[in-house]
Amino acid sequence: MARRVALVGVGMQKFDFRKTETVEEMVFDVARNALEDAHLQKENIDSVVFGSAVDAFCGINNSDKTAIDASTGLWKPTMRNSTSGSTAVSTPILGYNHVACGLHDLVMVICFEKMSENASAQAVFSTVYDEAFVRPIGLNVPIQCGLEARAYLHRYGLTERQMAKVSVKNRGNALSNPYAQLPMKLTVDKVLESPYLSWPVKLLDTSPVTDGARAVILASEHVARELTDNPVWIRGVGRGADSVWFMGRKNNDLGRLDYAYLAAKQAYDMAGIKNPAAEIDYAEVYDPFTYKEMQHCEALGLCPEGGAGKMIDDGISLKEGTLPVNASGGLQGEGNPIGAGMSRLCWCYLQIKGQAGDCQVPKDVNTAVCNAWGGMYQYNAVMVVGRD
Amino acid sequence: MKLKKPEMTINGEIQISYNWSPGKAGERFFRDLRDHMKIMGTRCRKCSRVLVPPRIFCEECFTDDMEWVEVEPKGTLATFGDCYFSTDGKRLEKPWILGIVRLNGSNGGLIHYIGEATAEELKIGMPMEIVFKEQREGNILDILYFRPVKE
Repeated sequence: MARRVALVGVGMQKFDFRKTETVEEMVFDVARNALEDAHLQKENIDSVVFGSAVDAFCGINNSDKTAIDASTGLWKPTMRNSTSGSTAVSTPILGYNHVACGLHDLVMVICFEKMSENASAQAVFSTVYDEAFVRPIGLNVPIQCGLEARAYLHRYGLTERQMAKVSVKNRGNALSNPYAQLPMKLTVDKVLESPYLSWPVKLLDTSPVTDGARAVILASEHVARELTDNPVWIRGVGRGADSVWFMGRKNNDLGRLDYAYLAAKQAYDMAGIKNPAAEIDYAEVYDPFTYKEMQHCEALGLCPEGGAGKMIDDGISLKEGTLPVNASGGLQGEGNPIGAGMSRLCWCYLQIKGQAGDCQVPKDVNTAVCNAWGGMYQYNAVMVVGRD
Repeated sequence: MKLKKPEMTINGEIQISYNWSPGKAGERFFRDLRDHMKIMGTRCRKCSRVLVPPRIFCEECFTDDMEWVEVEPKGTLATFGDCYFSTDGKRLEKPWILGIVRLNGSNGGLIHYIGEATAEELKIGMPMEIVFKEQREGNILDILYFRPVKE
């Protein structure tokens, strides 16, 4: 039987081109912030789990090794995880596993990405594609997302205008987030007027490249109860993966994220959640592109399948809506340092604790869900966190 | 600590060349493409699915009981994407287009350029066909592009 695991602290920092710092310095900042938040010392941490998606961004292979000293990892068991963009949530799940299995009582989870070090993030992304069948054609991130977004809008009859509303919401929400790289006061028309990267995806549907790190500290039940009277528990975790051969998937359509529905079902089954739209109070949903927030809201059951357009039209996911999504600004507004998208989990924690500052939503938050996505439309990782 | 512009950067470059193996299935696929202008897939003898790009095993049945079959150089457009950036990131006047085409007689498909059509003329689900290169070299660019099947 798995042990219960609680979140007992988070380490935040501003997402930005952090050109004055090394990876090690960036990581030290969030690790220290997390220790302060949890009222813990370096010596209390039993083990460290790292997450970083693509080493080529920072140009240091096996970059986890540069972060050991700065993460409280010295002389301790450490491990690195990488599942493309979903590293952002699969890494805290790996940390969860460390505590749930009984091996460790306090685990530091560190996610980072330093994307400003290279001359072209797009050139780095181009090295992730299959070398024989895909890369020679020159697939890039804009078209990769254009292919998927077109299939999605086509399948469910959704619109560019609905996508634009997600951008307005998230970049607007980021105005209240002190850690955000790109807060903007926008209008739907302004988003629609921004240049196309690949139809229907426009510049203002896209999250910015950035640098940053996040830390969370996970604790076993007896340690968590010593640290706090009312712990925030990890109630459910789930992961799903689909084939790298995206040209011939079983469901014949890139528009539906079967692997994300699978990951969500695992997490909800574990958490005992039957009706997520009614039982989830708050969500931080992976939104590297606006349509991804919409797809993920559906896969996470926050709205009916194909209902993400109506969800944003009806204002349900607004900060003051009945099921707020990304009141932090999400990746759109806060910035998208791939692995450090673990920020989604941090903001769930802060909302539940009532410590989200100006991003705090005007409702009680007892149960929250977050997810992350990555690979060739392949991975999804989901976490449900909440109070008893 | 306030972030400011650094006074220093340490400049470097990583340049590594690779010689990728196309693999057992890939080698056969690219040889038949080069020598016979044929699109080959592998059929799982257990579940009968035909995989394109071909693989030496079926991921569903987890068996290598596979046979080679030829598939039609035709199929349907599953989705497509236009792009106003060149592969090295330069802004383009006229977009280029990539599409995923599900090949007839298979459970798979290929991603490739779309030619002889503008994005406005394309529709998800429309029939497409492969245009082959004349001088073929044994790689995916032996396919020039997909084009809509002429009525």
